[in-house]
Amino acid sequence: MRDAYIVQSLRTPGCKQKRGFFKETRPEELASFIMKTVVDKTKNMKAEYISDIMMGCSFPEAEQGINIGRLAGQMAGFPESVSGATVNRFCASGLEAIALAASRVMLGWSEVTMGGGVESMTFVPMGGNNPSPHPEFSATNPENYISMGITAENVANRYNVSREDQDKFAAESQRKAAAARDGGLFTEIVPTPAYRYVQQEDGTYKKEQFIVEHDDGIRESTPEALGKLRTVFAAQGSVTAGNSSQTTDGAAASIIASKEACDKYGLEPIARLVTYTTIGCRSDEMGVGPKYAIPAALKQAGLNVEDIDIYEINEAFASQALYCLRETGVDKYMERVNIHGGAIALGHPLGCTGAKLTATCLANLKEVNGKYGIVSMCMGGGMGAAAIFERL
Amino acid sequence: MIRKVRKAAVIGSGIMGGGIAALLAGAGADVLLLDIVPFDLTDEEKNDKAARNKIVQAGFDGALAAKPGLFYDKKDAARISIGNLEDDIDKLADCDWIVEVVVENLKIKQDLFAKIEKVRKPGSIVSSNTSGIPLKDISANFSKEFKEHFMGTHFFNPVRYMHLLELIPGAETLPEILDFIAAYGEKNLGKGIVWAKDTPNFVGNRIGIQGIGASVNAMLEDGLTIPEVDALFGPALGRPKTAVFKTTDLVGLDTMYHVSKNSYELCQDDEKRDTMKLPDFINQMVEKNMLGNKTQGGFYKTELTPEWKKIRKVLNPATMEYEDLTRPSFPCLDAAKKEATLAGKIKCVLQGDDKGAKFAWKMSVNAFQYAANRIPEIADTVIEIDNSMKWGYNFEMGPFETWDAYGVKDAAQRMEEEGYEVPVNVKAMLDAGNESFYKLENGVKYYYDFAASEYKKVPVSKTMVSLAAAKGNNKTVLSNSSATLVDIGDDVFCLEFHTKMNALNNEIVDMLAQANEYVDQNGVGMVIGNEAGGMPGAFSAGADLSFVMGKIKEGKFSDLEAFLAGAHETMQKNRYSSFPVVAAPYGMALGGGCETCLAADRIVAHTELIMGLVEIGVGLLPAGGGCLNLWRKYVKALPGKTSKDMALAKLFIPVFMNISMASISMSAAQAAGKGFLGQNDRIVMNRDNLIGEAKKEVLKMVDDGYVPPAKEKLIVMGNTGQGMVAAQLFNMLNGGYMSEYDGFLAKRIAYVISGGEVKTGTMVDEETILKLEREAFVDFCKEEKTQARINHMLKTGKPLRN
Repeated sequence: MRDAYIVQSLRTPGCKQKRGFFKETRPEELASFIMKTVVDKTKNMKAEYISDIMMGCSFPEAEQGINIGRLAGQMAGFPESVSGATVNRFCASGLEAIALAASRVMLGWSEVTMGGGVESMTFVPMGGNNPSPHPEFSATNPENYISMGITAENVANRYNVSREDQDKFAAESQRKAAAARDGGLFTEIVPTPAYRYVQQEDGTYKKEQFIVEHDDGIRESTPEALGKLRTVFAAQGSVTAGNSSQTTDGAAASIIASKEACDKYGLEPIARLVTYTTIGCRSDEMGVGPKYAIPAALKQAGLNVEDIDIYEINEAFASQALYCLRETGVDKYMERVNIHGGAIALGHPLGCTGAKLTATCLANLKEVNGKYGIVSMCMGGGMGAAAIFERL
Repeated sequence: MIRKVRKAAVIGSGIMGGGIAALLAGAGADVLLLDIVPFDLTDEEKNDKAARNKIVQAGFDGALAAKPGLFYDKKDAARISIGNLEDDIDKLADCDWIVEVVVENLKIKQDLFAKIEKVRKPGSIVSSNTSGIPLKDISANFSKEFKEHFMGTHFFNPVRYMHLLELIPGAETLPEILDFIAAYGEKNLGKGIVWAKDTPNFVGNRIGIQGIGASVNAMLEDGLTIPEVDALFGPALGRPKTAVFKTTDLVGLDTMYHVSKNSYELCQDDEKRDTMKLPDFINQMVEKNMLGNKTQGGFYKTELTPEWKKIRKVLNPATMEYEDLTRPSFPCLDAAKKEATLAGKIKCVLQGDDKGAKFAWKMSVNAFQYAANRIPEIADTVIEIDNSMKWGYNFEMGPFETWDAYGVKDAAQRMEEEGYEVPVNVKAMLDAGNESFYKLENGVKYYYDFAASEYKKVPVSKTMVSLAAAKGNNKTVLSNSSATLVDIGDDVFCLEFHTKMNALNNEIVDMLAQANEYVDQNGVGMVIGNEAGGMPGAFSAGADLSFVMGKIKEGKFSDLEAFLAGAHETMQKNRYSSFPVVAAPYGMALGGGCETCLAADRIVAHTELIMGLVEIGVGLLPAGGGCLNLWRKYVKALPGKTSKDMALAKLFIPVFMNISMASISMSAAQAAGKGFLGQNDRIVMNRDNLIGEAKKEVLKMVDDGYVPPAKEKLIVMGNTGQGMVAAQLFNMLNGGYMSEYDGFLAKRIAYVISGGEVKTGTMVDEETILKLEREAFVDFCKEEKTQARINHMLKTGKPLRN
């Protein structure tokens, strides 16, 4: 099989759901912008080279419906020949999209593809606009529809992840994110046009554009301050808004090409997708997914924990992230984990997250001059996913 | 010119000013709330509008945050704009009514009114909410035109909840102004009007404070304790549960102290002036800032143990120390418990021969004498004094009504025997052969007018319908021991409940069926309403649980099923009958009481409305059509065929949450927010007019050409709703936010509301949902935990969450 090369990987800032800078910017606008931008920012790249777009989205309905993969491509001004699909694997959708786009290249079915992800949790809430669990199955197997917060509580309870540890982890995520933002280290972020509807002097409204440059959810805190927050999912629990990921709007995209295409068009590969895996686990503790996915991916790639220079582990909840780090032994290399903070500070725009973390992972590999990076996350319904990239 | 209150100004943003502003906003007026600029601004702050408005902003925020709420609906706050007396005083020129509620200081008030006089528009009404300063002193320097438009409007705290509004005419106030404010106060603000004279502390506080002062002094003389006095002057004598001292804790000792001092200083000739001189221990309490609830300690105090257990303590005036509170009892109080009526209880307590009874009698004599001797000094009639005590102090009976309950002649005789003076006017009344202050003849209520020495009709507003009066006038057409159908004129009939808390039982259901037939033959429409007392009172607190429990104990579940089937049949018959049915709820309309309203063609509700389907608290579900009718109300609120294209979950979730969380409203506006009241339902500000307004609604519907609703199938959420609920309940159970049993009940409730085992969007017969209601109700009754919940409620009056 051929190798699939990433030639570009970028993201928009992540902005808080309903309260952030993207609260009046539709998901198609975020998606089409990042699609067009990855093409424009890549030397010698033209949209017409792309044969297909795979776009991850966790709740592909309403504003994110009608196949946003195709639609956003057309909004980006891509030729009609560029096809598109929407991919849903909940929180791994963006990573799944990159893996699928890469597989097409690896199989020789495509020369250049695009993989990415988008989610506006403002426009389409988690669970969708009209959640409709199956009446009989939800009665007998309600854990298949369980709230993510409860799964985080379950992980904390079953595997003894203390409130203190969760809050320490959360404060650390915020600290790292603030430092990276202030140090200008988020090189994978593209300043992104956002929109707002502004009332004019005559009382009518006009849609106006402005530029967003940073993630807007970073908020430095201390474990002590976080320790004062009330739990939100269980009366006697330990999971709070402060030690959970933020609900966020954002988009990210990567261009993937074969070696032949790189040579032909003059594209410069920055990384290679080494391997990708997904695996199921108990749905009522879905957060443990990475505990299984990371070792599986390492085994497929013939690598060990210590070989990995950058870990981008999605911080759906501090409880599950901490537990997975401990179980996999990655906690011995904390200085390689989420070096610029994770979803607790930067947000978790569901279907975008895999694509976003890929962009971050590749940027961070470059920053530390590392070789291998892992992107991994858990998923609703009880799954884990992990991909390994090799920087070139 | 037609007078209106388009825009009102309230000057002074304390708790009274904020309350008046909230009330006016609730009545639909635009309100300008003003207060002073803080004295201590820095030079920089002097140009900062926000700093200049700091005091009024704090007052406004306080009114918004007040508990219990001062606003019927917080949205009303948008009608209020704030400002300060320096920058915004010119805005008073737009106001139709300006109410002054500033600090009780004559000089400050005079200065303020001088400013107001310069900017107010001619013809605008200006009033003072002073509770003690004579109006003639305030208005001494006004121009003639200003005096003609100036009067006293004395609200009581908390403004929203206290029914009393004392109106005090100035010597030169135009009658037109007085009439307007009286009508606006009654209809738009929902207040009970008492005409007072310009004497210190007017009517309510003059009488009330003397009663408190006399009780405190006599308590020390006779060696009673604070809890003993409160036990005697509680519900057994028609007084609020908070009686004397708890009421004072609630109001604040400082307020009581000032009102009392004001009476003492200004009422030099008062024959009971000495009773208004408070004993030294009260002065000490004020000095030590033991002011009641607002300082976490007054006559009573609640302490917390390290285990967060509450311990109630009470002050011993002799030692000034708090001691553990024990509930006192007197034989007269135990005997009164057995009496069914308030009049019976009053007699029982006052005629007892224990220490407590003697004290109660002594204090009642004081109250009788004091009230009678205040006519015509502070008010012209007994009505004004009785109403001010009922509406301003939450007494169930005023002093003259209490005296009537005892028997005026009997009491007077006993007073004479025991050496108490009988007031001259009462003696004259008795001597002329008139033995009561009030009497009811042919449905008309009369009062004895001392000045004219004859009975006169008690004036009532045109919209007021009195069931008691109608019943006294042989207008009862059907009756059993729980409910009565009364002819309220113009071919409209009122179905009145009269059980304890107006709880629904099989007799009421029987009466509803009979009433339906009767009105169909003899009437144009029906009101379901009653005029039981209390604050907030109970239109109906729900189904009679002892009836349900009785059937459960006998194992007669088929009886329950049959009872509900009968109730459903009657309910549906009423709904689809040839005539309109209008429900007139007020106060508590819970469980079955709420269902009664939801089943009516229309609701005319009092603004103070505690409405909700709270059955889950006793392990049941609304099975008097509540599940069906709340869902129907939501679906039918949508125009045309909208509901067919709508994500029904948006309707289903709030209906399900209302029922499964036993959600209740704290005002009619909130009931509308929860969907219990719909677009066609109306809110009435004055409870005294409620049945009259409901009758007007019936007549309007008839006049408009009443079209009974057509029987249609109803779209339902189907089992998709059950799936949603099952998934969500799993999360709530896991989070520990709900008991296992609540989850079990909620799941079944979702099944009923969503129409049972059908696909989403199916059109089902109303009877289908009613059948599901009955089945679920009977199944719940068979559950041990439901039985435990019902028993707990019957025993303690509180829900059990097992």
